[in-house]
Amino acid sequence: MTRPLSGTGRLADDLYLVAHHEITGKPHLQPRALGLGLAGGLLGELMLPGTIRLSSGLVVLGNGTPPGEELSRSVLHQIAGEREDLPARDWLLFLARTAPRDMAGRLAQAGYLTPAPGRRLSRSPRWVPADPDCAFAPLVRVKAALNTRGPAARQPLLLGGLAAACGLGHQLSLYLPPGAGHHLDQAAWDLDPGLQELIAQTKAVVDSALLAHRL
Amino acid sequence: MPRTPTTAPKPSTVSRALARDRLGVPSVLFFVMAGVAPLTVAAGVIPTAYQTTGLTGIPAAFLVIAVILAIFSSGYVAMTRRITHSGAFYAFISRGLGRVTGVAAALIALLAYSFLQAGLYGAFGPNAASEAAAHLHIHAPWWAWALGAWAVVAVLGLLRVDITGRVLGVLLCAELLVIVAETVLGLAHPAGGHLSFATLSPAALTSAGFGTFGVLAVVAVLGYVGFEQAPVLAEEAKNAKRTVPAATYLALGMIAVVYAGASWAMAGHAGTSHVVAAAGQEGPGLLFGLGGSNILSQAAQWLFLTSLFAAALSFHNCVWRYIFALGRENVLPAALGRTGGNNIPKAASLVQSVTGLAVITGYALTGQNPMERLFFWLGTTGGYGILLLLTVTSVAIIAFFARDPHGENMWRRLIAPALAAILLGGIVVLATLHYATLLGVPAGAPAAWVLPASYGAVAATGLAWGLVLKIRRPQAYAAIGLGPHAVTGQAAPAAERTR
Repeated sequence: MTRPLSGTGRLADDLYLVAHHEITGKPHLQPRALGLGLAGGLLGELMLPGTIRLSSGLVVLGNGTPPGEELSRSVLHQIAGEREDLPARDWLLFLARTAPRDMAGRLAQAGYLTPAPGRRLSRSPRWVPADPDCAFAPLVRVKAALNTRGPAARQPLLLGGLAAACGLGHQLSLYLPPGAGHHLDQAAWDLDPGLQELIAQTKAVVDSALLAHRL
Repeated sequence: MPRTPTTAPKPSTVSRALARDRLGVPSVLFFVMAGVAPLTVAAGVIPTAYQTTGLTGIPAAFLVIAVILAIFSSGYVAMTRRITHSGAFYAFISRGLGRVTGVAAALIALLAYSFLQAGLYGAFGPNAASEAAAHLHIHAPWWAWALGAWAVVAVLGLLRVDITGRVLGVLLCAELLVIVAETVLGLAHPAGGHLSFATLSPAALTSAGFGTFGVLAVVAVLGYVGFEQAPVLAEEAKNAKRTVPAATYLALGMIAVVYAGASWAMAGHAGTSHVVAAAGQEGPGLLFGLGGSNILSQAAQWLFLTSLFAAALSFHNCVWRYIFALGRENVLPAALGRTGGNNIPKAASLVQSVTGLAVITGYALTGQNPMERLFFWLGTTGGYGILLLLTVTSVAIIAFFARDPHGENMWRRLIAPALAAILLGGIVVLATLHYATLLGVPAGAPAAWVLPASYGAVAATGLAWGLVLKIRRPQAYAAIGLGPHAVTGQAAPAAERTR
């Protein structure tokens, strides 16, 4: 069944696809870094419509419309359920624990991932992209956003920023034109301060994990 | 959208989940002890120290240095509560004495840890060669085995394959058991049937003048290197206020007992007046032979090789993390602060590997004795560098808390670091003046001033580079010593959790 190249339209889903090989489904990141990047993606999905925002490093509730999608709603519910505003870092670490599994499930439900063929030796299922072109499409969207500006470019630019933050800069440099990394850094300045801060927080927490021998 | 109203405070789901993931005292202690590599010191450093320096006060030195390091640690762990950074010395010195000094400290730390890492091949090579010759009848020069170990470490480092915690745990426990067993057997069979306490007495520290103490202190500090790593895990610790201090003091205590005991047993078993000669003849066998020649001594010899290899890999990881941290902050070229596929900082890992290769090749080509000239010389010079950093850090701690006490008491923010600075500073002076004794060379020999002067050279380079950064790249300069969370402008996470 062909899926549209535009994907699910969700930030964290696109990030998951960028973080895995488009044919074999093999991750390009260490498990913890993948989790932290996807956690950033989940927070980004709520920040784009203004449902949550970052204020002095804390995740606070905003006035935007609540999400219709189940996983995003669950994340928002968890944020709202805490008795005080917690630092973005804590949310990234918390969501990172389950994000890869949740994203794989969401993409599988939408038909973008299929179970990998062959015998399962471990209990956790391995996924491969259902369509390599769809799996590659998010990178194309990031590249396109480098040349356009305006509201439509927000999500792909945030995707590019978060991808670089969790260690996919190498991947981006392989498939984007030369110098794209530099353009991406500059384009990120066009994003709202809150989204820039999300990218910075994600990078900080990934680098910290590497330096503290947890990655 | 209002928060869900709650009438009674509910425990935070997030905090509880994150707490489960954090490291307790045992994990941090284990990390520190694995880095200390006990058998590398007990079988490698101690016998070579007896032989090269000709001094017998090594057991006493371990005890005295433990006390001095414990005093130092009071201020050190207090500072950890305020600043979390994997390059603790560099960050503390930057925040206490300024970023320019911090850059110099960073380069000193990098040089010291690099010396320590490269030196290990000098022990692995000859010992692997002799074991292979004895058991496998393979006869290859020491540098062939050293290069083999180097290659495996380089590849594992590039692939980010670490020895699993479980394997490391088994090895570490085995090492400690072996050392304790050999120590007990050695003490039970003293030379002449009578166990002497001479090597434990303070008089042994100044047997050949005050300079003796400086030399012995460097050897002892080398044994303790690794204890300063506990703050690397501060951000991941369960309780930043208690976990890191507890692990640090426990580690100091364990190391003191194990090394003082082992070195005392070696001197007691051989006889105080004969231990230097015995060390010259037997080398690591001075430890292995304490309980006679049997399964224990053979197991000890094999564990010595695994200990050296594990330490080489561990220090490789330590050095590339340092390079990565400095690359991130533009103290070193930014390319070294980037990761490639699988979050591997390939550039940082390669730089460390190339350094190791250059050192092994240099020693192989010049035909120098690897155990003494590579392992002991570079190892003790690494220890000397750590001593320099400990001294400057003590001063930085005083300066930092002088600006704002942060609620710490007088002992932790002033008296302890001041005492440590004076004692450690005195040791640095004595060691520098008597470096020739440390290396076992005649006074005035080139090595005796070239090796310590290398730190002067990198410090000067660091100061100059720090000034260049201050003038030409103020934004990068401003981020020095602040760690990954600098970009977010928030307080160190560990500091937040102690509120």
